[in-house]
Amino acid sequence: MNAKLQSQLQAQIDKLDSVSTAPAILMPLLDMLRLPSDRIKLEKVVELISYDGSIAGQCLRLANSPLFGRRQTETVRSAVMALGLERVRSMLFGLCMNEVIPRDKWVFAPDAFWRHSLGCALITQRMAERIEYPEPEKAYLAGLLHDLGFLVNSVLYTEKFRECLRLAAEEHIPIHVIEEQVLGFTHCETGQMLCEHWGLSKELVDAVHCHHDVSLLPNAGPLACLVHLSDLLCRVRYLGYGYDEIMGVDLGGDAAWQTLIRAYPALENMDLVRFTFDIDGAMEQIVATVDSVFGARTIAAPATS
Amino acid sequence: MPIEIARAKPLVTPDSNPGDPAFLKIRDLIYRISGIYHSEEKLYLLSSRCARRMAALRVTSPAEYFEHLTMRGNRDVELRLLLNEITIGETYMFRHPCQLDALRNVILPQILQVKGLISLKRLRFWCAGCSTGEEPHTLAMFLLEEKDKLLAGWTFDILATDLNDNSLEAARAGIYGEYALRSTSDAMRRKYFKDVGDKKLQANDLLKAPIHFDRINLRDDSKMLFQKGIDIIFCCNVLIYFDLASKRRVVQHFYSNLLPGGYLFMGSAESLFQVDDSFRLVHFPGTTAYWKATPAQAGGGKK
Ligand SMILES: C[S@@+](CC[C@H](N)C(=O)[O-])C[C@H]1O[C@@H](n2cnc3c(N)ncnc32)[C@H](O)[C@@H]1O
Ligand SMILES: [Fe+2]
Ligand SMILES: [Fe+2]
Repeated sequence: MNAKLQSQLQAQIDKLDSVSTAPAILMPLLDMLRLPSDRIKLEKVVELISYDGSIAGQCLRLANSPLFGRRQTETVRSAVMALGLERVRSMLFGLCMNEVIPRDKWVFAPDAFWRHSLGCALITQRMAERIEYPEPEKAYLAGLLHDLGFLVNSVLYTEKFRECLRLAAEEHIPIHVIEEQVLGFTHCETGQMLCEHWGLSKELVDAVHCHHDVSLLPNAGPLACLVHLSDLLCRVRYLGYGYDEIMGVDLGGDAAWQTLIRAYPALENMDLVRFTFDIDGAMEQIVATVDSVFGARTIAAPATS
Repeated sequence: MPIEIARAKPLVTPDSNPGDPAFLKIRDLIYRISGIYHSEEKLYLLSSRCARRMAALRVTSPAEYFEHLTMRGNRDVELRLLLNEITIGETYMFRHPCQLDALRNVILPQILQVKGLISLKRLRFWCAGCSTGEEPHTLAMFLLEEKDKLLAGWTFDILATDLNDNSLEAARAGIYGEYALRSTSDAMRRKYFKDVGDKKLQANDLLKAPIHFDRINLRDDSKMLFQKGIDIIFCCNVLIYFDLASKRRVVQHFYSNLLPGGYLFMGSAESLFQVDDSFRLVHFPGTTAYWKATPAQAGGGKK
């Protein structure tokens, strides 16, 4: 991306706040997402949710849905307890972004987007735990945020991005390849800018920036490598972009794997096939959570036999 | 192998709560022995399979059943019986569509490109442990459908082998009922089968032509050494009964049976982790395969 385009984009991102109003709870929520779940105070979460009437309402609706036993939950507090902090915070983030992006600008099918993001968050975290990466919560957040650039592109370049998605689906190839051709930049770059704009840590910003190509940064950190790998894993296990991609991935031969293994030798002994089955196992839950938050618009997810 | 699961009420009601830690031990045992894995969320499946065996043995606690599987005198027999429950009669046509997608979209184009330059335009497939023939017949339909498209100008043959003579006989006859055909479209049925009455269809000559059936015991080293020049091997739900050492042996044979650049497919829940490290694991949408890298390709990932 050349300097001119970069500064144009930057100006657009700065304007994003006025294009759409970020809910007041977004910033405190991002702070909260960085903490391990046992350090989050229930009261703090309840307070956050209660700020925003529409979000509080949706929380209650979800807690009372059949998925969670159709309890008769009437207070935000009991709703949060019923749902569990883990689920509540990713749900909150999803609801927030739903408010940030006006309905008519959702180029990406929201349920496909959230399945992929939530799936990636979970898998990045599980993988981080498996290799004993010290901050699995950060890994979760990186996974959750990694494709935010899609939302930026939806808002700022709605029609062109729609075209990108159409072409990518038609040719069964990754979106970033088409973005590069049509827009001249990718969601990796716009996502990076948004994360910078929000004041997120450099490590997170870098992970978002190079999640499709870890060779972009000379010293791609473990976080970037983890996100890169779990993005690939999600895409081969029905948690992709919502269309069929043509791909074959030799993860063990991937540069991110090679980089990661140097710092975390535990990766050498990771049973990738078993890990893949674990993803499949977790998928039902991811799909159910996303569907209950964003409505069950179904996307073909063939049953795994 | 259409086996209906008898839904008779067990005499004793065993405690098969999937949360019981003994099931985690059984899960890991089954995985170590057969390569079949049950994720946390699928433990209930395992526990219900165990429940049937527990009822037959009149064992009530999972912990006690685990002992049967590990310590008692006839643990090998019991393991086998449990494995039979786990892999119960599931074979039918088009059972693994993701494998066929991977073939069509990635694997065959890759192989055709490399082979097209250097050798006869011929592909060899091998279904090892083909049972009653659903798998090779599916593969034959898939390849015949691609004959004028992807495979224009190419010839192919399918070697389909099993140890069990009865199964092979049924496979050669190629007569199937609704169970085996449940995922086969009407168009495919019309094109590749003939009605032989009694609600059964028989593979027609067009479908049978590319398949050659033979009896091969995968433990028979001399026969295994003999198979050469294969492009793709399917060995699904067969090695689950093998112990580690013999599994290793068979997989090493497969490795040398394959041409460089060839692929091995296993059942959808099977793994070669710690069984073999010559093959490279490759993920495709919805499925995985094992790849014999060509010396030139061995360097890095392919996307
Ligand atoms: C569960 S069936 C698999 C059918 C088919 N491949 C599928 O996945 O649908 C297992 C088959 O492996 C065969 N088998 C078991 N041990 C074998 C051996 N040592 N050599 C050859 N075949 C064997 C059995 O006879 C049986 O037909
Ligand atoms: Fe991405
Ligand atoms: Fe992604």
